[in-house]
Amino acid sequence: MDNTARFSNFRRQSKKGILVIYLNILYKAFKAFWFLLFLFVQKFSKIPESTLLYIYIGVLALFVFFLIRAFLIFKNFQFKIENKHFILQKGILKKTHTSIPFDRIQNINFKQNIIQQIIAVHEVNIETAGSSKAEISIKALSFEEASALKQVITIFDETTTTTNINAEEKPLLKIGFAALMKVSFTENHLQSLLLLFAVLVGFYQQISDLFDGLGKQELLDNYITKNASSLENNVILIVGFFIILLLIAVLSSTVRVVLRHFNLTVFVKNNALEIYQGLTTKKSVILKKDKVQHITISDNPVKRKLGISFIHFKQAISGKVENKKDKVIKIVGCQLSQVAVIKNLLFPSENLEGINKNFSTSYYKLRLYLRGALVLFILNTLLYAVIQSNQVLLVNILLIPVFILSIEVSFKKRYYLFNKELLLVGQGTIETHKTYLPFFKVQNVKLKQTIFQAKNNVADVIFQTASGKIKIPCIQLEKAQQIYNYTLFKVETSQKSWM
Amino acid sequence: MTDSFQNIAVTSFPDIVKIDFKSINNKYLKVVLIHVFLVFLILFAALFIADYSGVFKIVENTFWLYFIVFIVFIAVLVLKSIGFKKMKYVVREKDISYKKGVFFRSLTTVPFNRIQHIEIDEGPVSRFFKLVSLSVFTAGDSSDDLKISGLLKEEAQQIKEFISNKIDG
Repeated sequence: MDNTARFSNFRRQSKKGILVIYLNILYKAFKAFWFLLFLFVQKFSKIPESTLLYIYIGVLALFVFFLIRAFLIFKNFQFKIENKHFILQKGILKKTHTSIPFDRIQNINFKQNIIQQIIAVHEVNIETAGSSKAEISIKALSFEEASALKQVITIFDETTTTTNINAEEKPLLKIGFAALMKVSFTENHLQSLLLLFAVLVGFYQQISDLFDGLGKQELLDNYITKNASSLENNVILIVGFFIILLLIAVLSSTVRVVLRHFNLTVFVKNNALEIYQGLTTKKSVILKKDKVQHITISDNPVKRKLGISFIHFKQAISGKVENKKDKVIKIVGCQLSQVAVIKNLLFPSENLEGINKNFSTSYYKLRLYLRGALVLFILNTLLYAVIQSNQVLLVNILLIPVFILSIEVSFKKRYYLFNKELLLVGQGTIETHKTYLPFFKVQNVKLKQTIFQAKNNVADVIFQTASGKIKIPCIQLEKAQQIYNYTLFKVETSQKSWM
Repeated sequence: MTDSFQNIAVTSFPDIVKIDFKSINNKYLKVVLIHVFLVFLILFAALFIADYSGVFKIVENTFWLYFIVFIVFIAVLVLKSIGFKKMKYVVREKDISYKKGVFFRSLTTVPFNRIQHIEIDEGPVSRFFKLVSLSVFTAGDSSDDLKISGLLKEEAQQIKEFISNKIDG
């Protein structure tokens, strides 16, 4: 293959990479020191001119230093492919030499942020299952180079490359803008609101730290308490506030979904799924079939009416928790037939239809009720402590039915079923999640019992995979032991590669 | 239970329940108890110093404070002794299992062909009794893998050797 020859000598990324690296450094510096800039603008009039000059020179020197640094990073970043290994040399003073065998490579992802889109280069990320140290990010390659590199790495074990060209033409599924809108409106708006809220709180803290430093904390507090108390007095305002909140939630869901999943397209190539998506930051992800540990298909009542659902793919993750979110790959807005196609692709000829569901024992319901009661108790105590009025306990009239309903529903939705190869675990309250796990992907099994569970002869079974735990709570001990033994049997007799 | 499983269940699998688990070496109980002693020694010392320097002016009778800590001490000793008896392990041809717990019982099995690496650790107190702990790690998010404490050093080495051979072969 000529592509292999192309990468056989050490080479650098595209020259445009200097710009990408430079802007990246500047962005990081700005993120770390933006409050200095803020201070500077605020106190601008008070700074004497001579000092101002020094500041300008200092900043200029910093910019030049960053530029030199970016150039050196670029110059010292070299990679090649040799003997089915990806080899990378980098580092200005401290040189690092990394070598990754192809079969350890989990994923090759393309990414484009706005700048990379403008100058027409792609960022290539190479992910491995092991330590996060071995993750490689090549900041700038032309599309042609990037796909050549990807091709060399992904199809090293394929005998034919011709199928590749055929498959390129028609995508397995494509989510249009209208479908994306459907997805946005049926999102979990509460969640997006909380997310927005978290961002705002973080922002508020930063601002208040800043004001604190300036000695103006009281001013800010006063402003907020004044507004808050006027809120309390005005019911209409509160209702309006909620409507606005709802609008914001819907809007933020929409923005989030469109930004991330714009023009979502999925191709099937060889033994991998290729997923392209994103508006400002375009991402392309390659998902090798073998590396997928388990998938979860989720929907909620509205989504079910519209006939769309989500698919989450879970792959092996490294111990670092911060990466966890990136390793979950999500396809939104799949129609039922498309879900079936993907399921078929990953677990060919595994039919779980018509197999009876096994439910948890009533002990599980008891446990849910006890936990619910505890949460209610804590909630009541907290509310009472904050507001100190008996009237606040009236909230329970609303809360208790909600609790009972959600416990009953989530108990009903908790089930598991399996055939020889595949385990399906269902769960959820408002949303419904179905997790499919092939038995041979399990890394260790655990049987857990509290002393009360032991008295009732029930146990929890926990399957640990390379991408997290799957739990079946409170089933009869004998059944639990049977599944336990069966899983071990499947794992220990399996010859297939599991990650 | 579903039909398909019953079909499978007829052919008999190796049953983890019927295997005889091995107890942990009795010497390890001493290690556990010494650890408890050390923790409570520090606690008592801290209490004594705090008492002597007059931090507990509010408490009428410091005797009861000592008494409560002492009761907790006895309770922990008893619980640890019972818990020790529940710690059991077994190495089969293709997997390694460990169970423990009085109030929270658990049984974990890790198949050899999913093990990434094995570690043998010696604590300062354990070393005195020539005991070690053996941990096995699997890939990915493996915070929750298996650790057996209180093995004889030679035995742990043997298990490690055995598993390593199985993985490579």
